[in-house]
Amino acid sequence: MNRRAWRNFDYSLLVLSLTLVAYGWLMVRSAQPPDRPYALYQLLWIGVGLVCSLGVSLIDYRLLNHLARPLYVVLVLALGMVLVMGRTAFGGQRWLAVLFFTVQPSELAKVGLIVILATFLGRRAVGFRTVAISFLLVVPLAGLIFLQPSLSTALILFAIWGGMLFVAGAPVRYFLSGGVASVAALPLAWNYVLQEYMRERIRIFLNPLADPGGSGYNLLQSRIAIGAGGLLGQGYGAGGQSQLGYLRVRHTDFIFSVIAEELGFLGAFVLFVLLVILLFRLIHIAQEARDAQGRLIVAGVAVMIFFQAAVNIGVNVGLLPPTGVSLPFISYGGSNLITLFLGLGLAQSVALRRHALEFD
Amino acid sequence: MPHTPPQLQVGGETGQVRGRRRLVWLRLLVLLVFAVLAARLWQLQILEGDRYRLQAAGNRFALQTVPAPRGVIYDRIGRILARNVVSFDVTVVPASVPEEQEETILRTLAALLDIPLNNYAALAQASLGEDSVADPPPPLDPNCGEPGLLECFRVAKQAPYRAIRVGRDVPADRAFQLLEQAVFLPGVFVEPKPKRLYVYGPLLGHILGYMMPVSQEFLEQAPSSEEYELVDEAGVAGVEASFERELRGRKGRKLVEKDVFGREVRVLYEVPPEPGYNIFLTIDVDLQRVATEALRRGLEEVGSPRGAVVALDPRDGQILALVSLPSYDNNLFVGPISPADYQMLLEDERKPLFNTAISGAFAPGSIFKLVTASAALQEGVITPQTRLSAPGIIYLPNKYFPDDPDLAQPFYDWLPAGHGVINVVRALARSSDVFFYKVAGGFPGEIEGLGIERLARWARMFGLGELTRVDLPGEAAGLVPTPTWKRQALGETWVTGDTYNLAIGQGFLTVTPLQMANVTAAVANGGTLYRPQLVYQVQDAEGNVIKGFRPEVLRHVPVDPDNLAIVREGMRGAVAWPDGTASFAGLPTSVAVAGKTGTAEYCDPLPDLSDCRRNENGYLVTHAWFTAFAPYENPEIVLLVFVHGNGREVLEGSKVAAPIAAEILRYWFEERAR
Repeated sequence: MNRRAWRNFDYSLLVLSLTLVAYGWLMVRSAQPPDRPYALYQLLWIGVGLVCSLGVSLIDYRLLNHLARPLYVVLVLALGMVLVMGRTAFGGQRWLAVLFFTVQPSELAKVGLIVILATFLGRRAVGFRTVAISFLLVVPLAGLIFLQPSLSTALILFAIWGGMLFVAGAPVRYFLSGGVASVAALPLAWNYVLQEYMRERIRIFLNPLADPGGSGYNLLQSRIAIGAGGLLGQGYGAGGQSQLGYLRVRHTDFIFSVIAEELGFLGAFVLFVLLVILLFRLIHIAQEARDAQGRLIVAGVAVMIFFQAAVNIGVNVGLLPPTGVSLPFISYGGSNLITLFLGLGLAQSVALRRHALEFD
Repeated sequence: MPHTPPQLQVGGETGQVRGRRRLVWLRLLVLLVFAVLAARLWQLQILEGDRYRLQAAGNRFALQTVPAPRGVIYDRIGRILARNVVSFDVTVVPASVPEEQEETILRTLAALLDIPLNNYAALAQASLGEDSVADPPPPLDPNCGEPGLLECFRVAKQAPYRAIRVGRDVPADRAFQLLEQAVFLPGVFVEPKPKRLYVYGPLLGHILGYMMPVSQEFLEQAPSSEEYELVDEAGVAGVEASFERELRGRKGRKLVEKDVFGREVRVLYEVPPEPGYNIFLTIDVDLQRVATEALRRGLEEVGSPRGAVVALDPRDGQILALVSLPSYDNNLFVGPISPADYQMLLEDERKPLFNTAISGAFAPGSIFKLVTASAALQEGVITPQTRLSAPGIIYLPNKYFPDDPDLAQPFYDWLPAGHGVINVVRALARSSDVFFYKVAGGFPGEIEGLGIERLARWARMFGLGELTRVDLPGEAAGLVPTPTWKRQALGETWVTGDTYNLAIGQGFLTVTPLQMANVTAAVANGGTLYRPQLVYQVQDAEGNVIKGFRPEVLRHVPVDPDNLAIVREGMRGAVAWPDGTASFAGLPTSVAVAGKTGTAEYCDPLPDLSDCRRNENGYLVTHAWFTAFAPYENPEIVLLVFVHGNGREVLEGSKVAAPIAAEILRYWFEERAR
């Protein structure tokens, strides 16, 4: 690659993501149980993620055109394998042991889908036919993931699909009619699509006090933790709810509650600002992209991050029913972090090649 | 957004422009969503923050009461009778058991605690003991309702933060093994708890008693200053009950910060508990053991269902031994007692929870003659020299037809041949019935008699018919019958025959073994009726004496010492004279023992017949009594033995009760290291 191209390297994207990851690392360190050195592992994942990110950014995203089909096949196969022989963990078969570490193919499917959809949508005008075919592309992936079962990841895939269609310029009436259709399908989904544990989660969300010691426990405790944080928080490492174990899965899905308790409204607000700036930066890169495929890739990455952050925080503050969505860059987790860095690598790849002239 | 037809050209200018415009909308959406989230956060943290801070504090802080160590109970020379040991409960908090280690951890736990791993194993274990179909195995923890650990855990996971108790009162070695492996057993907790240990079990069951969880009624009645809580136990029997206040101590309190599992993280403020007072009993454990064994053998020999031994120091009322058989192991009540065990104790036909020595009221028979003799001498009805004829039978003339011998009522002596013409000393030594009939009820032409009113008054003076106020709950008062009582209770008039019966401790009179021991003590010590006491000293935890022993006089029985000396002489005769009633009982000769036998007829009603049980010769069945003191000249111990009738035979005091006393006295005066 041309040396001049490095002038287009988006350093602010790198700095922003590193700032978020550092913030997350500090909070994982605060939230980790005394006998589980999650922060240490997280350092490893950050390192692996950064390498992946840089590696991907070196690849010209336009070459991914050729990769889209095989990638799709590989993803479907991998997700199928998870169903057949995956390790059972946390009630779902989402993990697949590859060599020395386990990966969650469903995480990688998010980035994979972005690449595939960008390739597919970037070359076509977004009419009904395109929308329908792209929908058929998403369904097998989302379906396999739903069966693991992981409703939240399946929903993320649909969110990415919807976001990318929107940016690709699909007519607004599609979204409106899609919305109406979804609402109409809700009772059907409740009875035939949702599994019992999912229905239970939603019931508990609507009335957490029904079983405060059992399933409603975490909802109440996270709300208490956040509320107790106040404006300035109780201090790093000093959150009573977090440190004494009242918050469950606090290093992953409920790490936002730890931030809110220990660093208060201000700490959470700083996180919001960082996330918004990062998203704006990604959108900016999308706007600057030299072609539709690049624009769609970056938009897909932005939608993925945005959707996950919004859902995770929404769950934490009690606006949404609990789902297993992690907070991007902040939550502990390898597959998750690597997925994000792969996404940022793709965005960087698009940024590096934003002006056609410089590659002449 | 205006409607535009689908573009046909790939990546056309229109698509490019629209895509960029869509990205602007995306920015707006991002801002909007984060604004909503920030607003919600503001609501939770700033507007409602105080409420949640309170809830968080409620989560973390708890004002806990710290139980006070209960006082230790010692015998008179400092042997520990009841103390506190640590017991271990094992609990599991499902939420902190890592899912992937669940199976391993539960398997290890089941093996270590020896509890069934699953319902199948529980069923197999339950039916192992019996041939027939077993009862369903009990649930491991009432909260899960499943007997197997795996099933119980699965149920408990629905409320994952509620601990299930999988092991109660686990042996210490197992508990330590668990603690050593704690690192490999996340979610498993060992909770130490204080537990009462009754070192001698059944030997002191009736004396020490037991504790039970406090009832709702108890809580309502207890003064609030005593700070009982529903989780507490309180003594309900024995010394544990009567000295509850001293033994209990004062609870401490502390403000603690706790984690989600309720484990203490930090103590912020603490008022330490004050341990209960330690109590030294007047009981001599060795004497208690010897007395228990002697009584047990005696009961077995004649097939008697129950009996009692009371040993008192006549000089101050200290109780040296207080045996009631059958007894029970009060350790059963620790923990607390299982409903099945409690049911078993309550339904046991032998009534092991019943303290015969203080709660049982029986006809005393001839040992009551101590009272009759003392009263007659003091009232001047007889003098020591008064001699009356004591044949084997006398006829009490009919009140209304005194001249018709056919209407006269016969009264028998235990010895058909009679005892000749005798004075009171000899009457006591030979236990003449007729002599005391005449002395109490009078006999036409020979003696006026005490009369029922005076005899009853003296009986009460000696403490009969009233509580001795011994330091134990559940004492019976017994009954001293009077004409008024008979009229009210039975609607009948008192007749001289009733007085005759009372004179020899028969008829309506009932007494407790402890009361009779106290009567003997008063006779032995010259007329002082002491309150029998069980506690020698009360000390605080540092060993300071809070309450020392002080004899408590219930009453000075107004009998001249000379008269009591005459009664004692009769008792000595019963033992020492060749024809005394207790002369063949094998009482020790190394010390001068004085005693009185009693063979008390009682009515053991036969079902369906309006009669009582009798032996094969038609005589009513009897209880056997023997009361004694020694040394004769300078009494230091009073011993009373009671053997309940066996329902088939006449049990004679001299043959059944006196030999038991002999064994105990031999120990006390000959074998005991003094």
